[in-house]
Amino acid sequence: MLSPRKDLLRVVRHELRVLAADRSLWVVSALLVLLCAYALANGLDHSRARDRARADALLEQAAASDALRASWRRVMTRQEPPDPWANPTDPSLVGSGLATRYATLPTAPLAPLALGQSDMLPDSYAVTTASRVEFMYDSEIENPWNLLTGRFDLAFVITYLLPLFVLGWSYNLLASEREQGTLRLLLSQPVRLGAVVAAKVAVRAAVLGVGCAALPLAALLALGAPLRGPAGLGLLAGAGALIAAYALFWFALAVLVDALARSSALGALVLVSSWVLLVLVVPVALSLGAALASPAPSRAELATETRTITAQSLARFADEFGSDYRHVHDPELLLPKNGRFEVPARLRAFFRASHELDSRLELALAAFDTQLAGQQAIVDRLGVLSPAIVVHEALAALAGNGTSRYQQFQFQVAAFHAEWRRFFQPRISEGLAITEADLDVLPRFVWVEQAPASLAKETLSSLLALLAAAALVAFAARRALARYPVA
Amino acid sequence: MNAPLLIARRDLTELARGGRLYWMGGLLLVLLVTSLAVGWQRQRESQGERARAQALDYADWLAQPERHPHDAAHQGMHVFKPEAALSIVDPGIAPYVGSTLWLRAHRQTEVKFRPAQDATGLMRFGSLSAAWVLQLLGPLLVIVLGFAALSGEREQGTLRQTLSLGVSMREVLWGKALALAAMLALLLVPAGLAAAPAVLLSAEPGARADAALRLAGLAAAYALYLTAFVFLVLAVSAWATSSRLSLVCLLGLWVALVLVLPRLLADASRAWVPSESRREFDRHLGADLGAATQQAWTDRFGAGKPFGSGVPLSQWGAGLRVHDQAGYGVMDRHFDALWDSYARQQELQGWAGVLSPTIAVRALSMGLAGTDFDEHRAFSTAAEAQRRLMQDLISDDLVEHADGHGEQHFTYRAARELWARVPPFEYRPASAEVALGRNLQSVALLLGAAVFWVVIAHAAVARRSHG
Repeated sequence: MLSPRKDLLRVVRHELRVLAADRSLWVVSALLVLLCAYALANGLDHSRARDRARADALLEQAAASDALRASWRRVMTRQEPPDPWANPTDPSLVGSGLATRYATLPTAPLAPLALGQSDMLPDSYAVTTASRVEFMYDSEIENPWNLLTGRFDLAFVITYLLPLFVLGWSYNLLASEREQGTLRLLLSQPVRLGAVVAAKVAVRAAVLGVGCAALPLAALLALGAPLRGPAGLGLLAGAGALIAAYALFWFALAVLVDALARSSALGALVLVSSWVLLVLVVPVALSLGAALASPAPSRAELATETRTITAQSLARFADEFGSDYRHVHDPELLLPKNGRFEVPARLRAFFRASHELDSRLELALAAFDTQLAGQQAIVDRLGVLSPAIVVHEALAALAGNGTSRYQQFQFQVAAFHAEWRRFFQPRISEGLAITEADLDVLPRFVWVEQAPASLAKETLSSLLALLAAAALVAFAARRALARYPVA
Repeated sequence: MNAPLLIARRDLTELARGGRLYWMGGLLLVLLVTSLAVGWQRQRESQGERARAQALDYADWLAQPERHPHDAAHQGMHVFKPEAALSIVDPGIAPYVGSTLWLRAHRQTEVKFRPAQDATGLMRFGSLSAAWVLQLLGPLLVIVLGFAALSGEREQGTLRQTLSLGVSMREVLWGKALALAAMLALLLVPAGLAAAPAVLLSAEPGARADAALRLAGLAAAYALYLTAFVFLVLAVSAWATSSRLSLVCLLGLWVALVLVLPRLLADASRAWVPSESRREFDRHLGADLGAATQQAWTDRFGAGKPFGSGVPLSQWGAGLRVHDQAGYGVMDRHFDALWDSYARQQELQGWAGVLSPTIAVRALSMGLAGTDFDEHRAFSTAAEAQRRLMQDLISDDLVEHADGHGEQHFTYRAARELWARVPPFEYRPASAEVALGRNLQSVALLLGAAVFWVVIAHAAVARRSHG
């Protein structure tokens, strides 16, 4: 008998010849490459639009900043009288919108891979001294019908379609040979059954791997500059390994079912049912289970609470809310004197009311974050029930479009909002005019990216989960093959 | 007994002996019952919560002390979208649109708080609902039960025997269709009967007849949908040379029609009818609002910036009215353009119902359930009308009473009777007939799909030799 390695190579060569002669190799590869290319183009298009929108927001911020400074100079040198609604020396107006401040989330290098939550959750917030409630619950505006449908990105092709390619191509690896009677012939040669199966799987895995991992990732590398460098290559390797491990799981399942099923039609049915269960049913069931186990607090109650607190502030500051129109007779009131500025009572009251609203809602708002984190913890723990969940979530995280990165972004925006408020609080309450130096030191939002090590750890644990599932099924398949009736 | 009935009875007995019906059917039934139970609980909870919140809100509005009316407009009122009774069956776009609007001074806002924002990324796999089960898994069940209906008999040679008894191929086809339909009915009718009391109990007492009508419409829509798939499956089973080929082709078709096509169409419609992003929308709306209010201000008061020093306080109320009303047309134009772009996108995708009954039934199902975009838009429009009513009442009152105070405008306090002049917000969803009228495209396509596949199935059995 030949050595197992030569054994394997021989069957691989044979299998390649058979497949190449069969049209299915070409059809499958072409279809897969086409789907992946389309998905990738879609992802690139979407993330480029996000990049443009972010650049646009930053440009707008810079232009507004210049305009504010120019207006400040004109007012201070008395070239023009201050506009009571856009007075650049009034700290309450500068804080509540004159100094446009965007908190933006940059796209990650692998963003085109999986669009994740990026079509629903906003990448930028215009931060002002107004309450968080005013701007933090906005979402990206997108046709809800399309949100419901989902996007055609690479993560979709891999999570949903790749298993079907694997199954469609290997559900009858042995059954067909047995049904045609060629298996006996094949095994009359000096090869072992295990080697035959391994070789068949290897050939198919290579074609699928090139089609939906190597080619798209290489294309991303060619198109996306930020991926060049060790960190970028690490991300690509992570994505490639996840996809490969996921495919491996499905190959192992196909072999297991093939080895156990009495006929290829029965095998096909069992495999399709497993796919339906793992890719369609378990994710929606788990999503529902997580929502039931860690339910989001009531938004209707939050709305009521928000309004109640607002009404109380309005009542308390009632006297101050009457617009201050003294400037009509005394325009000098709109100009600082010795660095001091009399902030109109109405605007001061708005600032205090919105601050009060936020501090009184803090616990209620935190409850939403806690419950969502609770859901995420359940998904992280029980996600291993379905490799589809593991790969989908892991790819979204690698692409920087997962739930946790967006939640992190919202935390950082909330912190920036507090910082912005702290900057203006003394100026508004003590009536300090905005100086030119203030304009230089207005807080800026700086996004702090998740540490690469923690992303690597997450990816690794997802990878291990996939590999463990694949190994488990492969082990069972090996045992089943040992008892496989060749005749 | 005639031949189709006999064939159907034999098929039913045979399938009852096999495992497929129990496994696949059982799974479907468990999912269906779970989703109905969860849907019922969610519907009851959120409907009660919203009704309570809105009543509380209006009570607070009425209980306002004497105050400057513009302060009242800053307090504003919340309105909540009522949760449709049929959302138990099909929540539609509900996870992706909000349900809460804060009607306040100055500007139309969006409906906030999308449930999907309070959920993990798994929500994007879909949300479990009876509609999801029927739309996605229903056809799969038909495929699993029926892929070998004709091809299997041909392989075993039993088809030739049946034909030798003088039964026509058409009778065989209808017998097979009947058997499949009976099996589906066996599973779905009990689920439908379980859903009926839940739906009727959830509906407002005055709207029960409407809910019953909608439920009947949904039942008919899904019956048509599954009929189309029954004949599609039989057509492929008649055409395929082997059961294996039949299964592979059907599964491929299912993936293409149910999973891939809707996403492709969403992309295509987005490319064809671009809709604005939040930034674009806000920027354009802001710019146009600024220009329109400036223009209206100039027309009414001569030059000067809105609320600038050019207009005395004795005209503050008049200024507010000019300012607010100048914005109405602009807001209508921008929101209509945005919503029209969504409607156009959906309409374009709807035409693909010609290819995929799933797309047609999805739109029809949401429409009948009252959880589609049309209903959401109608709610948003009604809420904005309420906001304008509140705003106009307030500025009229200011013109009438406060502007006379001259420089002391802001010392004016409106009496409590003013608050009661804003009526409570009551939104009545469209009736079942209106909902059906909005979805005639889908009805026609679904009917067309069913007829189309019946014809194709007949052609397939007629063309094929059955030896």
